[in-house]
Amino acid sequence: MRDYFELQFVLTNRKIKEVGINPALGYFLGLIAFVLLSGYIFHKTEFAKYLVILPCLGFQLRLSEKSRTDFLLATFGNKSKIKIRVLENLIISFPFALILVYRSLFLEAIILLLCSITIALFDFYSNLNFTVPTPFSKIPFEFTTGFRKTFLFFPLTYALSFIAINVGNFNLGIFSMLLTFLITLSYYSKPEEVFYVWVHANTPNSFLMKKMMIATKNSTLLTIPISLGLLIFYPANYDLILLFLFIGILFLWTMILAKYSAFPSEINLPEGIIIASALSFPPLILLIIPYFYTKSIKNLRLILND
Amino acid sequence: MIKIKELSKHYGNNEVLKEINMDFLRGKVYGIVGENGAGKTTLFRCIAGLENFSGEIISDIIPLKNHLGLLLTNPFFFSKITGKEYIRLLCNARNKKIINIDQKNIFDLPLNQYASSYSTGMKKKLAITAILLQENECFILDEPFNGVDIQSNIVLAEIILKLKELNKTVLVSSHIFSTLSDTCDEIHLLRKGEQIKSVQKGDFKLLEQEMKNFTIGNRIKKLELK
Repeated sequence: MRDYFELQFVLTNRKIKEVGINPALGYFLGLIAFVLLSGYIFHKTEFAKYLVILPCLGFQLRLSEKSRTDFLLATFGNKSKIKIRVLENLIISFPFALILVYRSLFLEAIILLLCSITIALFDFYSNLNFTVPTPFSKIPFEFTTGFRKTFLFFPLTYALSFIAINVGNFNLGIFSMLLTFLITLSYYSKPEEVFYVWVHANTPNSFLMKKMMIATKNSTLLTIPISLGLLIFYPANYDLILLFLFIGILFLWTMILAKYSAFPSEINLPEGIIIASALSFPPLILLIIPYFYTKSIKNLRLILND
Repeated sequence: MIKIKELSKHYGNNEVLKEINMDFLRGKVYGIVGENGAGKTTLFRCIAGLENFSGEIISDIIPLKNHLGLLLTNPFFFSKITGKEYIRLLCNARNKKIINIDQKNIFDLPLNQYASSYSTGMKKKLAITAILLQENECFILDEPFNGVDIQSNIVLAEIILKLKELNKTVLVSSHIFSTLSDTCDEIHLLRKGEQIKSVQKGDFKLLEQEMKNFTIGNRIKKLELK
């Protein structure tokens, strides 16, 4: 069992190294980010405790995935498997529980720890045989798979825009639109197997254009209920609505180009810093897009044999 | 036609393919055999353009990769993509419009289920169906018979012969000699990255015997089975 946790530690360190930073620095930065983020959400919303508890439980549910627990069972036996799972969940819940205790939410902290232990005792199937219907089945794959993984978020963003219109908060409406873009942006965060780029009978330029066109069309489709609602109820602000729609699309393009500029590796620290700088100062995006585009073309030339 | 001239491939100091020379003609089926690590998959990846190499690959199909159906040993499937969507993805990538996928589902796959939930054999059958529907001119099939049930293997052998009849070029690797002797016109034997010999159909029996002798040697005796 000790070997197992040592191995997990080594694997975590390896993942941090892959991002391009020293593991010790990675843990330190992670801790700072965690503290700052929790401070921010407790400052911003009264629902902060749920935003602390739910991600923690969500992560623990992923660790209870059947194929993973089956591996633990086959390797360590039932008794050790349960010990490992309980210990894993307690380690994960520790920082979250600490935040709750710091905020004097003792009952919530106890509930979190009890839930963590309970989750460790069960296995969950993540791959149910039910196929989630998607409007993006005709042109796979990013939106097809992405939509199926995130479809539950869309009713939330639409509900948020509905609330925004109801309470007359235009900014909240724009926020819900950008949130929808953020979800679609995540579809392009991981690189696919090289085969799935190689298989395209396209030049690098037409390959990228095709990807960007599909992303623009599909993400616009997903934001239509929000943008249309805002246009109907805030017709005077049509220019702002279109501007934010355009900004959302520009960020989507940036994400796609960033992905292929690092391809076949994952988007790393340098690309992350560039995207973050564009987020803090959006006009930079006009320089960043051509930069990522040039890098992507160079990368794709090798794979598409152009 | 595909002509391979003096193809070599290094991973660092390790030479995994050594001056390979092979010709692949239209309307012919070629087998590539060799032990694990002999270099079969690397050779296929070089032909497909997925690896850098020294030497030359000349083809009358330009660019070759856009007309090449590549079946990898272990095809990768995205989670949350159905069999039908996988076929669409591969056909869209080649700008091919496909009509009536269900009719072309000759392996009776559950095309509306997630491909990631398929068994190993079903995954392979899905990947084969997809590259066939891409209407390629050349096919590289790396271990197509592996993990597939015997009935589907019979269908697969017939498909390969049909591709030959349609004047396509087919390259197949397999660890089951009979599957190659039934379908191939010529077999190339690789050993530790070297092209040991090329054998025409008439001499397949001799090649099989030679491979048996070389592979088995006195290994069984060493076990001292009682």
